[in-house]
Amino acid sequence: MRFALAALAILASIPAAAVEAGMPAPSLSMAPLEGGAPVTLAGLKGNVVYVDFWASWCVPCRLSMPTLEDLYQRNKARGFAVVGVNKDASASDARRFLARVPVSFALVQDGADAAARGFDVKAMPSGYLVDRKGVVRQVHRGFTAETGAALEKEIDSLLKEPS
Amino acid sequence: MKIVVLMALAAFTAACVPVAPYQRAFLARDDMALDGNPGYMKAIEKTYSAKEAASGGAAVGGGGCGCN
Repeated sequence: MRFALAALAILASIPAAAVEAGMPAPSLSMAPLEGGAPVTLAGLKGNVVYVDFWASWCVPCRLSMPTLEDLYQRNKARGFAVVGVNKDASASDARRFLARVPVSFALVQDGADAAARGFDVKAMPSGYLVDRKGVVRQVHRGFTAETGAALEKEIDSLLKEPS
Repeated sequence: MKIVVLMALAAFTAACVPVAPYQRAFLARDDMALDGNPGYMKAIEKTYSAKEAASGGAAVGGGGCGCN
């Protein structure tokens, strides 16, 4: 019994399989970057949600932030939300960047890597577009201008789906 | 026996843990680059190979004349 438990504990250290399109989004509770009530994907159900793993040390992440803010501003009234999961080593790095590039969508911290491991993030940035039912429909690894354009179309088509 | 199996299991599953892409905050720092300033490094290499007649050590062909 003890052997089985120990073996299980070791095997549990192997990361979970990466979240891909078609899979349900992992249920996670994430603490906001600047305090407040925890953000959960379950709490955002009914919205189209873009879960974006970013950090101020990651150049394409920095480039993606103004695009994500723009998409959020134009679509939030239709039920679109963005959750920016910050992967900076210290929150002050994130704050310094956000002072220059302010965003108005939800920002959460992930100091213990629970969210990153839950999604098994394979690249920075990684974005998971979750539909109104809580299913991941698109995964974007890396970010270029084309990603922004593709995202705009995907968000628009997902917002037209019934919840 | 069981302990050997457990140790083997631990070694194979957890001995080498790669740095995940989202854990590279410190590795991404400028001062962590192997070659932080390519232009400066090139000048240093050229001077070194000319002075020490040691061209080739830094993967550059040619003699130690400082003319390559």
